[in-house]
Amino acid sequence: MSKISIPLGPQHPGLKEPINFGLVLEGEQIDKATVNLGYNHRGIEKAAEERTYIQDIYLLERVCGICSHSHTTCYITCVEEIAKAEIPERAKAIRVLVAELERIHSHLLWLGIAAYEIGFDTLFMYVWRDREQVLDCLELVGGNRVHYAINTLGGVRRDITPEIKAELLKRVDILEARTKYYTTLATEETTVLARTQKVGVLPKDLAIKLGTNGPTGRASGLARDVRKDEPYLIYDKLDFKLITADTCDVFGRVVVRVLETVESCKIIRQVLNYLPEGPISIKVPWKVPEGEAVNRYEAPRGEDIHYVKGNGTDKPERVKVRAPTLANYHAVPHMLEGGWMADVPLVIAAIDPCMSCSDRALVTDRAAARSAVWSWEEMRRNGIEFYKRRGVDFSKVVLK
Amino acid sequence: MSDLELEERLKKRLEDKFGGDISEFTIQRRRRLWLTVKPERLVDMMRFLYSEMEFNHLSTITGMDLGENLAAFYHTTDQHTIITVRAKTPRATPVLPTVRDVFAGTESYERELEDLFGIKIEGLPPGRHYPLPDDFPPGQHPLRKDWKLTDAYPEPAVKEAK
Repeated sequence: MSKISIPLGPQHPGLKEPINFGLVLEGEQIDKATVNLGYNHRGIEKAAEERTYIQDIYLLERVCGICSHSHTTCYITCVEEIAKAEIPERAKAIRVLVAELERIHSHLLWLGIAAYEIGFDTLFMYVWRDREQVLDCLELVGGNRVHYAINTLGGVRRDITPEIKAELLKRVDILEARTKYYTTLATEETTVLARTQKVGVLPKDLAIKLGTNGPTGRASGLARDVRKDEPYLIYDKLDFKLITADTCDVFGRVVVRVLETVESCKIIRQVLNYLPEGPISIKVPWKVPEGEAVNRYEAPRGEDIHYVKGNGTDKPERVKVRAPTLANYHAVPHMLEGGWMADVPLVIAAIDPCMSCSDRALVTDRAAARSAVWSWEEMRRNGIEFYKRRGVDFSKVVLK
Repeated sequence: MSDLELEERLKKRLEDKFGGDISEFTIQRRRRLWLTVKPERLVDMMRFLYSEMEFNHLSTITGMDLGENLAAFYHTTDQHTIITVRAKTPRATPVLPTVRDVFAGTESYERELEDLFGIKIEGLPPGRHYPLPDDFPPGQHPLRKDWKLTDAYPEPAVKEAK
């Protein structure tokens, strides 16, 4: 049979972010796969050099819409290390709290997407309904659902009041109960098993060789977790399990993520009950001395690493970001090869890719720099104009 | 014994093996070691770290503009300690060897060095731009310190108001 090449993406069914895969098919089976990146490069590393350390917190938060706390925490630990600032224990605990809430939020989001790719839309809708609980928690703590911006130089911005603590504990119970239900569902439901077992296989030795990390690596039996291997913040004081699976397939990636979500619920309870009294931040001079630091952080998707170099001014000399997905991409062609075309979206989604994280670093949109918040009417007016130019007139439509 | 016993041991192993090819060796704190190696010994050192010392994970490569030199920082780890290996190359003719033969998943990091710093990576197979767009002006490398946004995207001329 002759082989056919199919370009998949940059717009593709795997996720709503741009990436391109080149697939060579023999019938419906994948003979060879390649990955092309770089559709979403924003120049964040260059931009970070032109902003102050404080401004960079908010810039780096926007590296990713989902692990926003991961990037700022990783960056800020580097800056605080260079500045030799020892932050209060309470601030460390709050950082861990937000980190684990974020992990739940990210893993549930992923579980929903995986269910959707499997074709199990009921599960997708259930999971995303329950995910609202954790988004509400994050809003309660940080004031926003996605970009919580809890970190600041020298600690955190907001404290946890007894009322917030009570509310979080209540919601974590709901989340844990629901996640346990999904664990049973995802590991026993025949349709889930049929779509995930022995799909997208990545053997352990290959996972090591390719530098795979996070839940993707752990599902291939790699017992690597920065929280355990090199404990930062207060992770050395917490009791939680490092979850691995040895099936090396999409099924393993599902299992690892749902069980990790349960562990995160445990961590959150421990942190809330531990929360030491004291201040939530210390003053750190805006000018950070010369020096360099490199730190790792276990983001929901895996190992996040930041390098920061200070030059004695209030702006960094260099900030380097490597998000976990970039290290996991190179494993995807290996997972796809030998598999079936119909499984492609699921296998891609199974590494929980985040394109904006990977392509972080150049083109500033000058039009967007003109910061303007559109009102609903303006947005609607713009929409009507947009479609009018394309020959459709929506101006007569009345919105109720 | 000092509390940096493990770090001292790692330092000694590397110095025994590479001796004079290493410079600027510092133990910054627990779990953090930094050193500079001559570019021609870079791949040997990566191979030694990978197969003899269990530093089998290259977290990332950080490109650096040091003025007269460009540099690449290879952050290798055994999951507990990070050894950062620096390799410097002159700005006029920046060339470094690829470490893909040792760490297979590093292609995108090396392409970043080529695109953003203009360091030629010897042994890297030809491929597309990453992460810059295909039509980015050739010869421009945005993360070099002398690069300005207007080099690639000139300000549109402002018309005089009449």
